[in-house]
Amino acid sequence: MPALNGFLWLLVCWLAGELIVHFTGMPISSGVIGMLILCAALALRGGVPDSLAAAAQPLIALLAMLIMPGVTGVFFMIDQLAGQWAAIMTGLIVGTLLSVITTLWLLKRLMQDDHAE
Amino acid sequence: MLSESIIQRLTATPLFAVALTLAAYLIAMAVLKRIGSPPWLPAILLATLTLTGALALSGINYTTYQDGAKWLTVLLGPATVALGMPLYQQLPRIRQLWRPLAICLPVSASLAVVYALGIAWLMGASHEVINSLAAKSVTAPIAMGITRQLGGNVSLLLGALLVTGVAAIMFVSLVARLMGITDERLIGFALGVNGHALGTVRAFEIGSTAGAFASLGMSLTGIFTALLLPLAWRLVG
Repeated sequence: MPALNGFLWLLVCWLAGELIVHFTGMPISSGVIGMLILCAALALRGGVPDSLAAAAQPLIALLAMLIMPGVTGVFFMIDQLAGQWAAIMTGLIVGTLLSVITTLWLLKRLMQDDHAE
Repeated sequence: MLSESIIQRLTATPLFAVALTLAAYLIAMAVLKRIGSPPWLPAILLATLTLTGALALSGINYTTYQDGAKWLTVLLGPATVALGMPLYQQLPRIRQLWRPLAICLPVSASLAVVYALGIAWLMGASHEVINSLAAKSVTAPIAMGITRQLGGNVSLLLGALLVTGVAAIMFVSLVARLMGITDERLIGFALGVNGHALGTVRAFEIGSTAGAFASLGMSLTGIFTALLLPLAWRLVG
């Protein structure tokens, strides 16, 4: 089972992230630190070992399922957030429209400048 | 509604919650395959509605379910680490376009937070709601970590991610058309930065270049926000 080998590496990176968070007190989640450690390790090694790909790919494919229990919780909070839904939805929808316009406009300009040089 | 004794028997181990989650997920996937995956209905939304329906019908309360489902959610830790693999595979693209990306990403990722929170705050959202919405453009596993750091509610955050993802998919295609943008790299990057994993899935439907740039945008937004948002929160709060 090469996937087990790869899975152990993922766990080791995550645990290393936990230790770093514990000792430095940085307000960052250990998963993100583990992700950066993994990326750096792959860059140093110069390639993705098969065992790691065998563990990482199925986990990434299943991310949607892993967050389902959390998402379900929002449907049980509908009463708890009464009176705030208009603020939440407007913030999210109008906010996303504005940030989409910003990203596209800015990147279009920056890439034109880059090509012009 | 199931009787109390049956519920107690079934939920004595985490296996019932796991089975229920797997079943809802697989049913949603099968339905989506049938109806051809419309972009306004992400798999996670349909799967979650199915699961919520099953919980409501069987009369199992959410806390009991959530306890059992920890068996699955604990895998989010290693799954987040696993994202380091596609990130490594994106590195050549970062080198190729590092200058525009280095300017655009911090501006876009910060403004995405500022716009949404500014509007919600002006409309009177509570402190807890603001903390829960802050990571709304970040891919779920990273965003959950950020939200715990900020003291927000993870379920509300995940709901916010769904709304943001669907909105980003619609707005990117609309705004790109209005601005006359056809470059797949731009459209993909905008989908990843604003619409996290949902936007990235959509970008892969447009094409593999768009998909690659979307996953790049998604990873960079996740890292940037995870590193800076909790620090910014400490300074402001």
